[in-house]
Amino acid sequence: MAQKNEVVVEKYSKATRILHHIHTVAFIVLFLTGLILFIPQLGFLAQDSWTRIVHRIAAAIFIIAPLTYLVLKPKAAIKALKEAFTWGKEDIGWLKAAPRYYFLSDEDGMPPQGHMNTGQKLWWFIVVVFGALFILTGLVMWLLKTIAPASVLQWMVFAHDVAFIVTGAMLFVHVYLGVIHPMMTGAWGAITKGTISEEYAKSHHGLWYDEVTGKNLREKGKS
Amino acid sequence: MAEKAILYDATRCTACRGCQAICKEWNENDEIIPTKQYGVNSKNRGSYENPKDLDPNTWLKITSIEVEHYGKLDWLFNRRACMHCTDAACVKVCPSGALYKDEVYGITGFNKDLCTGCGYCVEFCPFDVPRLEGSTLLGKTRMSKCVLCTQPGLNRLDAGYEPACVKTCPTDALLFDDRDKLIAIAKDKVAALKAKGFTDATFYGEKELGGLHVMYVLNDTPDKYGLLVDPKFPATATAWQDVIQPIGWAVGGLTILGLALNYIIARQAKISQEPPKVKEKK
Repeated sequence: MAQKNEVVVEKYSKATRILHHIHTVAFIVLFLTGLILFIPQLGFLAQDSWTRIVHRIAAAIFIIAPLTYLVLKPKAAIKALKEAFTWGKEDIGWLKAAPRYYFLSDEDGMPPQGHMNTGQKLWWFIVVVFGALFILTGLVMWLLKTIAPASVLQWMVFAHDVAFIVTGAMLFVHVYLGVIHPMMTGAWGAITKGTISEEYAKSHHGLWYDEVTGKNLREKGKS
Repeated sequence: MAEKAILYDATRCTACRGCQAICKEWNENDEIIPTKQYGVNSKNRGSYENPKDLDPNTWLKITSIEVEHYGKLDWLFNRRACMHCTDAACVKVCPSGALYKDEVYGITGFNKDLCTGCGYCVEFCPFDVPRLEGSTLLGKTRMSKCVLCTQPGLNRLDAGYEPACVKTCPTDALLFDDRDKLIAIAKDKVAALKAKGFTDATFYGEKELGGLHVMYVLNDTPDKYGLLVDPKFPATATAWQDVIQPIGWAVGGLTILGLALNYIIARQAKISQEPPKVKEKK
């Protein structure tokens, strides 16, 4: 954890953090109101369709929030989207070393990581891809209900469910790693306050740390 | 009690549509005359049919088709409403249990109070029968379909009566009885039609989708009447309910189990790495 006099590095900007929190709340509401369809015994909660209305309000927020971010911070948004699709050999190294790290607290095998480590990037990749799938299939079911051919709507329901299962299961992993896992110390501060300690940046995001500090030095040199 | 069914004999139907009218009346579905003064802009669509399609207030509709029939133009009538399939896709996909197979009569029952309005039944019904009422934009909807006169308070079957459509039919084109008895009657009728020269006469509904509870005597092939020749239980419904949903529960459950296991092991590993610190903290 970052102490008072410790040097800190900004990991997530304020805009990014606000987007994260809005999206979290929207997703959890969508998750719970959608979960009712998996549990017939909870069907009574959806009577008079009110959970369906809540689901739509949350869906609107789920769609509008990232679009707003894209308009206000286009550079950051595009950079982040690129990050989700940039995979290299450090990622393979990370995947090999991850079991020992997460189970046995053995950090030795971990190759230096960028702004996001491979695991975070995997989750971010899932959020982008399945988020898009959610929105696409959801909009078809929402706006083209009874208009689109039944066979199309059948596959939309199916795809929406697959996205629900993948993201739902991975959400547990995400929350667990960010909040509960014994080895995780920096991630919570990074998403709440936006900063991580310099030490943590060096040890957990080496590549990114070099990149950021390198830039800083060059900027200083210019001025 | 034996399974019940309706037998519709298209060769006896005159398309008087008394069944259509009494269906609305008995089930309290907009019993109005569709004229401008009641806000219905009724117009000629070039057909004797009215209204255009099934809707939340029209559970039963008589269709008329102009088609080549044994070498000459003919005007065929057909009855369109819920088929009450034995293997009902709507029941399979209904997430709240609002749709169910009635154990007494074998029909596809519907408890409107439990309906959440998701509309999955609309998408998965092979016969395109269920309709949504309400606003799909807001999501505040309910499904609506024929329940064979078993609505609470308006339940004709429990009272020992036939459905309203059958009761009102003046030509006995509609019969209501034990399904087995009707199958025997239908087979006799088709044999008689074939003997009269209607060589393509068909009995429809005996085996389709595990057996329909609305069956048809036709004097031509089902496609001439606008019926699905070989209706199929949608594969997506099976894949969704029998494959994806159990996988979903397994994935979710195993994830949580795996994380709990990881916590126990990782915590132990961390403690064993830094034993003095942890003890001091305690």
